[in-house]
Amino acid sequence: MSPRLRRKLGEWLTAYVFLSPYLFVFGTFTVFAVGFAFYLSFTKYNLFSPPKWIGFANYTRLLQDEDFIKHALPNTLKYVAVVVPVQTVISLIVAFALDQEIKFRRLFRTLFYVPSVTSSVVISLIFMWMFNKVGAVNSLLKMLGLPSHIDWLNNIHTALPTIMAVNIWSTIGTMMIIFLAALQDIPVTYYEAAMIDGANRFQIFRYITVPLLRPVIFFVVTMGLIGCFQVFDQIYVMTAGGPLGSTLTIAYLIYKNAFQSTTPRMGYASAMAFVLAVMIFVATMLQRRIIETEPYE
Amino acid sequence: MSERKFLTLVTLLILASLLATACATPTPQVVKETVVVTKEVPVEVTKMVTKVVTKEVEKVVTKEVEKPRIEVRLSGWTASPEEENLLRASLYEFSLQNPDIIVKYEPITADYWPKIKTMVASGTEPDIYYMDIFQFPFFAQQEVLLPLDDFMSKSGVKKEDFIESLINAFTYNGKVYGIPKDFNTLALFYNKKMFDEAGLDYPTDDWTWDDLKAAAKALSKPEENIYGFGVPPDAGRFPIFVFQNGGRIMTEDFSDTMLDSPEAIEAAEFYTSFRKEGIGAIPSDVGVDWQGTGFGQGSLAMVLEGGWLVPYLKNQFPDVEFDAVTPPAGPKGEGNLVFTVAYVISKNCKNPEAAWKVIEYLTGLENQTKVLHSGFALPTRKALLDDPYLKENTVAAAIFRGAEFATPFMWGLYGSDVNEEMRKALERIYLEDVSPEEAMKDAAKKLREIFKGG
Repeated sequence: MSPRLRRKLGEWLTAYVFLSPYLFVFGTFTVFAVGFAFYLSFTKYNLFSPPKWIGFANYTRLLQDEDFIKHALPNTLKYVAVVVPVQTVISLIVAFALDQEIKFRRLFRTLFYVPSVTSSVVISLIFMWMFNKVGAVNSLLKMLGLPSHIDWLNNIHTALPTIMAVNIWSTIGTMMIIFLAALQDIPVTYYEAAMIDGANRFQIFRYITVPLLRPVIFFVVTMGLIGCFQVFDQIYVMTAGGPLGSTLTIAYLIYKNAFQSTTPRMGYASAMAFVLAVMIFVATMLQRRIIETEPYE
Repeated sequence: MSERKFLTLVTLLILASLLATACATPTPQVVKETVVVTKEVPVEVTKMVTKVVTKEVEKVVTKEVEKPRIEVRLSGWTASPEEENLLRASLYEFSLQNPDIIVKYEPITADYWPKIKTMVASGTEPDIYYMDIFQFPFFAQQEVLLPLDDFMSKSGVKKEDFIESLINAFTYNGKVYGIPKDFNTLALFYNKKMFDEAGLDYPTDDWTWDDLKAAAKALSKPEENIYGFGVPPDAGRFPIFVFQNGGRIMTEDFSDTMLDSPEAIEAAEFYTSFRKEGIGAIPSDVGVDWQGTGFGQGSLAMVLEGGWLVPYLKNQFPDVEFDAVTPPAGPKGEGNLVFTVAYVISKNCKNPEAAWKVIEYLTGLENQTKVLHSGFALPTRKALLDDPYLKENTVAAAIFRGAEFATPFMWGLYGSDVNEEMRKALERIYLEDVSPEEAMKDAAKKLREIFKGG
């Protein structure tokens, strides 16, 4: 063995010794758990009796399940399609505004970030009160002379948009912080050059800020996509998937089948979880194509 | 780093380590010290001195070994702190009478069923746990519970000691798997003041559907958001109207649903007609999550609820004057739901005899009397039917009388799906204006698919 190879081997060994605690945890609770769930997705498993192999039956059942096809799938897609772009754009605008020399900048930054450090359950409860039939939102509408008898969370047309609004409001803080950090990384020289060339505020934002933020936008959109595809806690607290499945999402349907059924359907829930994972993977790949089309600079 | 800084750092480090060791000293334990050996050690003697013998005493510290105590784990959900305290008090009583058994009470505060089911799956479930009648069919069919018949006959506990419908509910294939600890049925709660203001007579046990409707009409003031009767899309309320109409939710063997039978469809028509006519409301109509709150704040004059409403009203709405009677009778007579919870023993239990002793105590006459007087739930022992408490307490008495015509709240292995589809059918009638017939037929169709898929 050449000394170089030996040294390399030594380094390699040291690295793995240091990594081993993490690798052990990762292997047990992620790799093994995911692999086992993949196996379960081909079985019928009620927790108490050993899993029974049934092939692709869970996946074919999914295609015929009204709850999945008519409610969970379209609701999840709608949710992602609205929440991800809106929260990204709003947080980018807020970050840009708070990057300017304005009064009370720090106060505003803190205020916008507060929802991110608040428990989502608490936020959901507060919004439940606000969107109650006799709650703050309807009172406000009444003062403005608008229709005020909307039962926001118990109406099949308004329940999902209400939950979307809650989520957008509570996540823009985190994304704003990420954008803010990235904005401060953009060298001032670019802005100065653009100003000398006579670019206006909007042009600077459109042609300098946004392109330079592209990697960060990619990160924010990816995190947003994953979070939105897996939306669960707000649904669990605010509507439990109702009324009439209008807020039923895939993640909540997984939970229902696995843990709320009198006879648990672990295999079926696992199959659904894998379909969701594939959807997230495809969506992330697609948006990467879109955002990273042309290299900048 | 300057010398001074370095010294400060060292001092700080020493201080920190001292503190750490100080904190690390274990809390002093009470240990009995016994002198076991006394050794005589001869000491070397010099020429000058006469022989000296020192006695050295060697201390041997031993822990006094106690007689091994049997540990039994007990889990249940907690409906309220008061109810938890009541159980803790009972367990303390038990420990005084049975010093050789330690009951470790491990309450599960949220998501009880997912927790218990995963514990059973991994073999770590408690020895004794609460079993709701709604969940019982699955646990019994999967054979994860211990049959109790032998223990019962050994200690002279008879099936006949308990209310028949309750102990029968926890019997599977001829064997008893759970001893019911308490039960509840639905009663028609009414707000006395609202009845007085409307100049109506209070409801009685003899009321029929027509009486209910007439009263609801007289009590409703939709413009003030006040309604006569609560009709939530709730699978824990609606079925009694099916029973009162001579129908069933499931077939006798729970293999098929009867939600699309004419009796059930008619019941759905009647139940949902209240809201359609503006004399009944669902909780969200009056801005609440639960109709108990609606009743308390005076938005609903009558609601069908169980005994759990009483402590809630006492805490949250102490000024409400209310009473309760059994639910009204339908075209085919009386009908009610009974909600009951039992203690069961896990099949993995290492000391079933000790576990049985705990159950025997908790469901025994002495403890059941205490439960009754606490007002949380009704006891399951027949002997308590004549207890004076029931005569003084009209609400408890109404809930108790309801048991006579009650069906257990249990729809078989896929109960949660039955509940869900029943709720959805009612929601569709309310929110999408679907006809009761179509909604109930769709629900039955969906359920048959689920039963087939498992």
